[in-house]
Amino acid sequence: MRPTAAAALLAALAVAALVADHLWSVGALALGLLCVCLRAGRRARPYLWGTLVSAGLVFLLSPLLQSTGWHVLWSGPVVPVLGRLDVTREELWVAALNALRLAAVGLAFAVYALLLDHDRLIAAATGRRSVLAAVLATRLVPTFERDAAGLVEALRGRNLAPEGLRGHAALLSPLLAGSLERGTNLAEAMEARGFGRPGRTRLPSPPWRALDVAAVAAAVAIVVVAIWL
Amino acid sequence: MAVASVEQLTFAYPGAPPAVGDVSLSVEPGEVVLLLGASGSGKSTLLRALAGLVPWFHGGRFAGRVEVAGLDTRRVRPAELAGVVATVFQDPEDQVVLAQVEHEIAFGLENVGAPPAAILPRVHDALAAVGAEHLAGRRIAELSGGELQRVCLASALALEPQLLLLDEPTSQLDPDGAEAFLDHALAGDAAVVISEQRPAAALARADRVVFFENGVVLLDAPRDAAIAWLDEHRPAWTSLQPSNSLLQASVSSHTLTHDPRNSLLQGRGGAVVSRVSDAVFAYPTGPRVLDGASLELRCGEVVALTGPNGSGKTTLAKLAAGLLEPAGGAVERTGRAAFLLQDPGRYLVSETALAEVALGADGRRARCALADVGLAWAEARHPRDLSSGERERLALATVLVDAPDLLVLDEPTRGVDPERKAELARLLRAQAASRATLVVTHDVPFARAVADREVSLGTRREALVA
Repeated sequence: MRPTAAAALLAALAVAALVADHLWSVGALALGLLCVCLRAGRRARPYLWGTLVSAGLVFLLSPLLQSTGWHVLWSGPVVPVLGRLDVTREELWVAALNALRLAAVGLAFAVYALLLDHDRLIAAATGRRSVLAAVLATRLVPTFERDAAGLVEALRGRNLAPEGLRGHAALLSPLLAGSLERGTNLAEAMEARGFGRPGRTRLPSPPWRALDVAAVAAAVAIVVVAIWL
Repeated sequence: MAVASVEQLTFAYPGAPPAVGDVSLSVEPGEVVLLLGASGSGKSTLLRALAGLVPWFHGGRFAGRVEVAGLDTRRVRPAELAGVVATVFQDPEDQVVLAQVEHEIAFGLENVGAPPAAILPRVHDALAAVGAEHLAGRRIAELSGGELQRVCLASALALEPQLLLLDEPTSQLDPDGAEAFLDHALAGDAAVVISEQRPAAALARADRVVFFENGVVLLDAPRDAAIAWLDEHRPAWTSLQPSNSLLQASVSSHTLTHDPRNSLLQGRGGAVVSRVSDAVFAYPTGPRVLDGASLELRCGEVVALTGPNGSGKTTLAKLAAGLLEPAGGAVERTGRAAFLLQDPGRYLVSETALAEVALGADGRRARCALADVGLAWAEARHPRDLSSGERERLALATVLVDAPDLLVLDEPTRGVDPERKAELARLLRAQAASRATLVVTHDVPFARAVADREVSLGTRREALVA
């Protein structure tokens, strides 16, 4: 399948997850995307961790921060600013729905980042600059992961292995600085290779196939059905 | 008519003193000009000026005139010079934009508006020109450092430039890979300006040599005259330059056996600091990197671990230092080990050079370590403001300061000029008695200058150096 069509399909699934109101439908979307994501193997780990931790936090914290519903399942102490901490059945339902929505969107992004051919996505794009920027930003996750592992390894080599959350948090600043430096170097190399110059041409791309057309049609249909339901 | 001419170029990066001062030179069609000089002497700045990146990309104060193919770089943006000029930078990972080899090489051609039907044939021609046809269709992430550097060269050659600029392009390659890279790069019709810190191979191929010092051109002469000048005035640039064939002969003549438990794989000094026995190792998604490798390191000796890219040198060194655990075999270690990784960017976690080194020791020892590597002047500098060679030396100081029992240095001379290399060799020799030292390197002259014995991986050969 063309990456453009696949990207449209993934975007439609993410929109559908955000629009749908049924736990089962959002759950099914998240499960389907999880299955596709797992095809990437070990590379999927940081994306899965990020998505599952974020979704888990939404599920755990949002009932405590909301005050809706009347079927109280647990009632806790009074906390300044927040008031009484309690959990109702309705809050749990909303928390589960939002967590599943977040998971579905995160997994759709993971599939886009891990399994799509970004080169062809850039080649097909009309807004080449924006798409290229988005694709390069997509690489931040694996690059950050690799750089972080490198920093930790270097510190271990100096017998200074970072310990605990604080030790690892201290690496954020050098990671960010390294990322900015890498971005500057890449921008310089791109300028030297003529990026941004008028009169650009394109490597010929293969024609659209029936599967690509079907994927785009399915994307439109998914969004329409999600809104309608 | 000259392909490029530089007239009285003076340039200073924002907030910094001049990086080059009053530089004038010209490059004739087809000429190969080699730029030599210490780290931070102005070589890279001149290359960037020829590409138009100075001043367009970096800003700063620019005086003088640089013309490439008749185009004034002050009036024409670097992107519009692309095609006339092509650049290969030092670190291939920082210049790759796309994920697939053919697309990556096509990127520049698309940008300069090559006819669509001609793009793919030119991509394949460029891959053939660098001997990398087999890489077409491969993903960039799967390539080794040497393969990636060839792809970067192919990306530059595909543009069919009149002027090819190479900024230390062989710093990550083994000697054979570096020779092959230069053969491919210099085989075309383009004029080439190349900067190198391991000058032997480039010196053999250059028409002219320009030597920089503190941003000023000290020498601009034909190769033979330049070699004579270097021999007399800067001997470090020519004195440690044995050819590859000399090394091979030397190694072969000392080859004793292929048995990994041979006595020469055992250390020659004091107490055993690290012993790797029949180690087996594979990374999670790859094949076995080591299969029955053995190495013994003793206090008082310096061992050079050499071999081609991908032969498992770094992996064996990490096993010896305890950064990796073997899947099979055994590793015994005593005392503390310190390991200098290949990428000096991984040692830049503090706000000043002194604070960076002082992470592992008190301020006094940190100052001594900085002085040992020639960076006493940089105490208060931000580590990211240092040049690549200076960063390499800073990283070295961060592991030296710990006074380890086992010191492992992985490619410590990358981006370091020959004079600093000679100083580093002297430093390691001077401190050798207090520890075991393992130097993983492609830099054959450095290995021979510093090591008591040399272990060559991949070929399972070993030689006594001293």
